[in-house]
Amino acid sequence: MARKNKKAVETTTQDGGENAIFNKETEGLSQGQIVLRRFVRHRGAMTSLFVIIGLILFVFSALDQKIGPIKVPGWWHYNTEDLPELRSDGCKEGLVGCPTFSLRPKFLGGAGFGLGEHPFGQDDIGRDYFALVMRGAQRSIMVMFVIGIIGGTLGTIIGAISGFYRGWIDAVLMRFTDFIITIPAIIIGSVVGYHFGNLGVGFLAFYLGLFAWTGLSRLVRGEFLTLREREFVDAARVAGASNRRIIFKHILPNAVGVIIVSVTLLMSGAILLETALSYLGFGVVAPDVSLGLLISQYQDSFTTRPWLFWYPGLFIITIALSINFIGDGLRDAFDPRQRRRITKKERESAKVVTKAGA
Amino acid sequence: MLAYIFRRLGILSVILFGSSFILYNLAAISGDPLEALRTSSEPNAKQQILALTRSLQLDVPPPLRYFLWLKGILAGFTGHIDFGKTRDAQLVSSAIATAIPTTIRLVFLATITAIVLGITIGIVTALRQYSRFDYAMTFVSFLMFSLPIFWVAVLLKEFLAIQFNNFLANPQIPIKWTIGLSIATGIIWAAVISGDRKRVWQIFGVVAVANAALLTLLSVTSWFIKPGLGPIVVFGMSIGIAYGVTQLSTGLQNKAALRSAQTMAVIALVLYYPNQWLFDHHAGWLLILVQLVATIGIAFAVGLKFAKIDRAPTIRTAAITGFLIGIITLLDKFMQTWNPYMSTDAVNFRPIPTTGQVNSLLEPGNFWFTTLDILVHMILPTIALTLISFAGYIRYSRGTLLEVLNQDYIRTARAKGLNERTVIMRHAFRNTMIPLTTIMVVDFAGLIGGAIITERVFGWIGMGTLFNKAINSFDLNLLMAVFFITASLSVLANLVADLLYSALDPRIRAGKG
Amino acid sequence: MKLNRSAKIAFAVASVTALVLGVAAPAVAATRTTVVIVASNALTSLNPGTPDTNLVTNSDVAYLSGSGFTYYDNKKALIRNTTFGTFKVVKNSNTDFRVQYTVNPGRLWSDGTPITGEDLLLSHILSSSDYSKAAGLGDPGDTKVVPAFNAGGYTGVYDNSIVGEPTLSSDHMSVTLRFNKKIPDWELYGPGPSPVHALVLMAEGKTKLGTIAENEAARDRFVKAFQTKDTATLKKIGKVWSEDFNINTINDSTNPLLLVSNGGFLVDSAVADQSVTLKLNPKYNSGPKTSGIETIVFKFISDGTAAAQALANKEIDVYQGQPTADAVAQLKAIKGVTVIGGTSACYEHVDLRVGVASGETDTYNGPFAASSGQKGKDLRTAFLLAYPRDEIIEKLIKPINSNAVVVNSLFTLPDEAAYAKIVGPNGVSKYTAGTQEKRTATALSLVKKYYPSAKAGSGSVKVTLLWGQPSNQRRASEAALVKAALAKAGFDVNTTGTSGWSGHLGESKFDAQFFAWCPSTVTQTGTNANFQSDGGNNFLGYNNPALDTILHSLEVKLPDSQITAKYIQAERLLMADAISLPIFQHPAATAVNSDLVGIKPAPLTPNLVWNYWEWHY
Repeated sequence: MARKNKKAVETTTQDGGENAIFNKETEGLSQGQIVLRRFVRHRGAMTSLFVIIGLILFVFSALDQKIGPIKVPGWWHYNTEDLPELRSDGCKEGLVGCPTFSLRPKFLGGAGFGLGEHPFGQDDIGRDYFALVMRGAQRSIMVMFVIGIIGGTLGTIIGAISGFYRGWIDAVLMRFTDFIITIPAIIIGSVVGYHFGNLGVGFLAFYLGLFAWTGLSRLVRGEFLTLREREFVDAARVAGASNRRIIFKHILPNAVGVIIVSVTLLMSGAILLETALSYLGFGVVAPDVSLGLLISQYQDSFTTRPWLFWYPGLFIITIALSINFIGDGLRDAFDPRQRRRITKKERESAKVVTKAGA
Repeated sequence: MLAYIFRRLGILSVILFGSSFILYNLAAISGDPLEALRTSSEPNAKQQILALTRSLQLDVPPPLRYFLWLKGILAGFTGHIDFGKTRDAQLVSSAIATAIPTTIRLVFLATITAIVLGITIGIVTALRQYSRFDYAMTFVSFLMFSLPIFWVAVLLKEFLAIQFNNFLANPQIPIKWTIGLSIATGIIWAAVISGDRKRVWQIFGVVAVANAALLTLLSVTSWFIKPGLGPIVVFGMSIGIAYGVTQLSTGLQNKAALRSAQTMAVIALVLYYPNQWLFDHHAGWLLILVQLVATIGIAFAVGLKFAKIDRAPTIRTAAITGFLIGIITLLDKFMQTWNPYMSTDAVNFRPIPTTGQVNSLLEPGNFWFTTLDILVHMILPTIALTLISFAGYIRYSRGTLLEVLNQDYIRTARAKGLNERTVIMRHAFRNTMIPLTTIMVVDFAGLIGGAIITERVFGWIGMGTLFNKAINSFDLNLLMAVFFITASLSVLANLVADLLYSALDPRIRAGKG
Repeated sequence: MKLNRSAKIAFAVASVTALVLGVAAPAVAATRTTVVIVASNALTSLNPGTPDTNLVTNSDVAYLSGSGFTYYDNKKALIRNTTFGTFKVVKNSNTDFRVQYTVNPGRLWSDGTPITGEDLLLSHILSSSDYSKAAGLGDPGDTKVVPAFNAGGYTGVYDNSIVGEPTLSSDHMSVTLRFNKKIPDWELYGPGPSPVHALVLMAEGKTKLGTIAENEAARDRFVKAFQTKDTATLKKIGKVWSEDFNINTINDSTNPLLLVSNGGFLVDSAVADQSVTLKLNPKYNSGPKTSGIETIVFKFISDGTAAAQALANKEIDVYQGQPTADAVAQLKAIKGVTVIGGTSACYEHVDLRVGVASGETDTYNGPFAASSGQKGKDLRTAFLLAYPRDEIIEKLIKPINSNAVVVNSLFTLPDEAAYAKIVGPNGVSKYTAGTQEKRTATALSLVKKYYPSAKAGSGSVKVTLLWGQPSNQRRASEAALVKAALAKAGFDVNTTGTSGWSGHLGESKFDAQFFAWCPSTVTQTGTNANFQSDGGNNFLGYNNPALDTILHSLEVKLPDSQITAKYIQAERLLMADAISLPIFQHPAATAVNSDLVGIKPAPLTPNLVWNYWEWHY
């Protein structure tokens, strides 16, 4: 305990030095550039950003896609409708459709390094599980973005109007928000499933998005309430700027950090929401596939055919984890008070600089 | 203020009316209540459809049927609230009455654990921002955020229940496991207590060896079958608690506080055997309540004895110490109960269950057995819920504390020479707690709605299960009752949170903004 | 850190002390006398006879706590329980058919009161609409008012054919029922005993068991009310019967009159939505002797995976369900657990629409329409020929029940005696001959007659398929297999999932549908409603007067050989018209603690518990 105290005190005494480092760094840069620079330095967030972009490219190019009338062939040799023979060679006794993915080289008794015919195995009727997981990931990512975009837009608009105009507009909008909060997502899922089940996953995501903006709108409202009292807003008003201009040009850019961060949280929540709904039978429905649907269908497989349980789960975790890290990186980048870690070397050189300056 | 509350309540009831109307209609069109009967090949299926239509009033269109339901609820003003009957002829009110305590039991402990763990870790990570521990915890918390709960549940059941119970059949920890666990513990501690490289290795070595020794000892002594602490270990832990609590509460330099805390530990040792006698002969919640009161009384006396001036902190320290020692003593008693409990026919040496709330085979009558039974049934769901929810508290408390630590008043506090403990505990921590409190209120109300999936995978019949069942069987009365209660609670909680916020933070005034 | 270490050392010291002081007591487990069964739904009522409470667990509990004249065994045979009583046909004519039911003397209710024929009279009130109306208890067909006895049994065969009221014999040990014709399966419609004295006492507000004399007096009051149609008394009793048994918490404060019964086990306690515990009935003499089990517990677990894990953890002894292939594999891997494969009474089948279902107002012009004559028939035949029945069973059913076979009869199932005689003559060979490739080739050539350009994958014939709830994984897999297989014969099957599918069964937008029928009894006329032109379950718009005649002739009790012959005739018509094909019987798996002897899962209600008296460890 004692040791910890000392260290913390040490850090505080170095504040001057660190400030110098930051000040020097941000000299002559615009807000956007500073944010970008801070984000790029966040190792976890950058790694996650690459992971998620890579994953999206990987997943969306894997299977045949229909864009309008054009059919874009995917690089993977199976599609979700294909029904290859269930293979049993190489599987443990009594099992069929085990994965061919192998990392163990031949000289260690493995099948060699490679994907094989069905890297993630096959499902009950022989469909290639890799193709199913790819399709599921496509759906899950789509759900994530649709909910993020719709929820984000609605939340921002409602929160912004509410916080900026205050008064009765605020009261009405916030009570409307309370109203939406009380309607559970599972009901939306079941109604959409029953009446529009065959309109596909995009439709479900759209509807969920219509109900997913409440948290964000409260946050944005709070931010607007504070920002509209700030001097620069007064200045803009005095200069004759319209409300529209004040909202879009002056306040919104200052609130964008909060918005982006909570939209990323909304998105990582969305992927779990889809999983939960699918588990309860109200989410994505067959013959469509989503990652949530796959694990809930194969949760029994955990001890018998674990690959059916693990692979979709790993994809969900990877996507959600990456999004969370990106959100964290953005939060750090947008928050002027947050500081990245100062390396020892920088600290040394800063000392020299401050000394020289003094 | 009162006017503000009444106005808010008025608006809330309008909101509830609107959303219940929408929900009723949405739910009514979300499926076909006669589904099973339509494909029935029973000769009198038609009659059964008629009977069901009659009892569910399906011939009344949903928007009108809503008002039939509302009539029952509004009767609440005359004291006879009527939630109607479920589809299987149960009174909805009695179904709810059994579900609410279950849900509270499920979520209360999990939420408390998540909050305590989350805030503690959050604070440590904030104080050690960008340390190895911080990075590790950031990763872990995001990982927890990203896990689907039923996925976690399947894993927990497999490893913590089935495999652990199998292990109990022959509780020898294999060497592989001892080594693996020791290395893992070593790494964790080395990461928490950071320092230069040499120190890290030292810590790693000491912890790993100590851990390996402990595991071996537990293994040879079959401790997992016959656990227990005994007076000596209880005393040792009590002394540890005395130091820890004093450090956090007043700082070790406050001798009076330290003395009184130590005295509490000694008193606990002296009372160890009398307590055991009481546990055996007067078991029951009343005893525990009496002991709680007695502990506080003793703490008060001890505090008064040692502190001459500024008595409150000393008494507080003694009371917290006493309370925690009490928990250890109880834990010890439960450990002693473990073996007899396991040996009962109903448990049959497989103590960790995967589903259910209680073991219905256990003969009632023995207070320690039934309480332990409830506790072991809570283990897995509590862990699962805690795992997925504490990450949020880590992130939130870390963020808030970091923000607070950057405030000018913290700088001022440090500048005027307060020691770091005072700065953190008195100035920073308290201000961190303000926004956290309001979040907790809202979270807790939300959890009463039930953890639908958790309850389902662990076979608990709480509000979440009722809700899920109601949706699946188109049981509108049940659905609406669950909704009515959870929605009322959640809007009320939001109101309470707002009021609390304004009470805690003098800068905010309720009724404005 | 320092503290932590010293604590650990102290910990170690204490543990050593514990070791020295404590002597591990060897665990000796006495012979178990308890069976814990998983139930997928909770107990909601002790009376499964109302439309709201007719649920599996309620019925199982009622079966364990009540014995009557007959029960179904695991071979779907209706067994007479001669320990309880006997019954015989006393008048056998085509217009006056009478059966006498006699309770053996000395049978006892659990409160010691002897059972008599008077206890059989309540059954009549529960099934006869005429009695209900005549006694002023309400019209069961009324759409607004619930009858005094809210029973689920009205309008069945009994209600339609019973004449007058049951008559008591002079010694009050027998009742005689009179029917207006020789009803098929008359054995099924006999009365069951009810503790009417307990109902009367409860209707009078009593909350304690009466003495035997009081009970007999109470029973006499019931008989009087029954015979004089005393509306007021009967209404009170009806209220007790319809409502008071709907409890899910049972403990010492429960009215003991609710628990009076004559089965091998008595309901002892129940925790709402958790479990129900039954204990051996000390006065039990209404059925076969029990073999040593003293307690039966139903534990409610709705999640299949959770139930399997609970079995692995030995929290339960018996699990029955329709698990996935993985769950079965998992159950088989559990040490000390035996998995008994088997089938349930449900069977999956595929139906093709030929016209507008009765009660629907739309029109049907799809590829299979009867109005398009030979074309429709050929396309239907092609569809059924190419339907991958073997593949479905191989891939989806065999992993769960390795003995599964393709079902080839629409009126009987492989586990029934007549099945072997029917398959073959019934014309199913058209759909079983050769390999699937050959049949698909035949199908394609039939399609080519009307769509010359048809080839594998051409999607010439567009068909919309209705199948179960999309969240049902097996059905989804079946639909995927069907889509792929039919594509080879030139069909394009639209398999988009439909939530709430059963509400759409009659809709003409679906050309084909597969789902399951789940009969709870085996009767002569069991399948009539599916294919009769005006049948309540005829969703296909199928109308065949020749078939109607055959089905109509089955509505009178016939000897077995004649029934089989009629079934064959009827199925020939259906197979020739290519209307419907059965696919498979739903697999059921029962996993049992290997120490428990005597569990024989049965496909019909009361499925698992039918032979509880044979169970022992």
